[in-house]
Amino acid sequence: MVAQVLAGDGEAFGIIIRRYEPGLLRFATRMLGSPDAAADAVAESLVRAYRHLAQCRDPQHLKSWLYRITGNRCRSHIGRRHMSDVALDDAPPLADPVDTWAVLERGEQVALVERALAALQPEKREAFVLKHVEGLSYEEMADVTGARIPTLKMRVHRAREALLLALKELV
Amino acid sequence: MTAIDPRVQEALDGERDPTTLPAELREAYARLTAAATLLRDPPATSVADRVMAQIRREAPATRPPRRSNWLLRPVTFRLRPVWTLAVAAAVAAVVFLPFRESAIPGAEEGVAQFVGHFPGARSVEVVGSFNDWQRGALALRDEDHDGIWHGAVVLPAGQHEYMFVVDGERWVADPLAGRYVDDGFGAGQQNSLLIVRP
Repeated sequence: MVAQVLAGDGEAFGIIIRRYEPGLLRFATRMLGSPDAAADAVAESLVRAYRHLAQCRDPQHLKSWLYRITGNRCRSHIGRRHMSDVALDDAPPLADPVDTWAVLERGEQVALVERALAALQPEKREAFVLKHVEGLSYEEMADVTGARIPTLKMRVHRAREALLLALKELV
Repeated sequence: MTAIDPRVQEALDGERDPTTLPAELREAYARLTAAATLLRDPPATSVADRVMAQIRREAPATRPPRRSNWLLRPVTFRLRPVWTLAVAAAVAAVVFLPFRESAIPGAEEGVAQFVGHFPGARSVEVVGSFNDWQRGALALRDEDHDGIWHGAVVLPAGQHEYMFVVDGERWVADPLAGRYVDDGFGAGQQNSLLIVRP
């Protein structure tokens, strides 16, 4: 697919987007705490990836490469604003009256976890999300972040400890 | 910070069967896996249309090589610093003189000379910002089979990032470049930097 795009078939990039967009959006949303900011970051990342696709040195690692670009965009966004600045704007929407209690309760649980995640330092948040939300291996995470595997393991372990402390209310 | 029992960390890292955890440790394991599950909801939005609209407005990811234009343009010839005088002399004998004979200096262009020592390589090419990092646009030559690969190209004056691609798969920064810039993708890799002066 990468070769097809590089051969001039720009529309083939749409297939790459469809394949990786859900994970990238989820990753960026968890990193930024805001779906709107995440959409901006992912859109910018995908356009940048398209422009530099020939620079993707190993198409077999396209997924890691895309996560790396998106992670960089997220760090750039984080650098421009603080997570807590968006807490109200990006709070989960109010539940519809027809929502069941179970859905409402789940929404509250998600909000609780999101708040705990947002309180983590960005590099720990990134490590936890890549490992436990996106399901990347430590090798893939090293490819994405440029950090060494022992460093990433330490970040994940520290993130778990902080989250566990913050999530005592979680069933 | 509450330390988590190493056995729980191992189970969460996939290095231990979670069913072997003692009962008192299972709660921490369950709480963290539940938290991760809650964060896995798929996003409700898509940026695909927005990205594709932007891409359609832009030039394609690759453009045809402009090699024919290089032959038609008036050029100046400049050698950037090379590895050793011996290499420079050898390269000049092969490349420099013929090129200069047919070239007329241009106002805003210069010739970039690429030299690399890659013994045993089957092919070496240069990709860079000047050819949209497109493979196949600038192949270097090693007529003497001595491992010294060389080539030249007319470029607009200014800064250009580039890399060597050896045997079609190994991306190598030019050890002789002298200047390097981060490749912008966050993994600490660097592109070589070339400054072409008119």
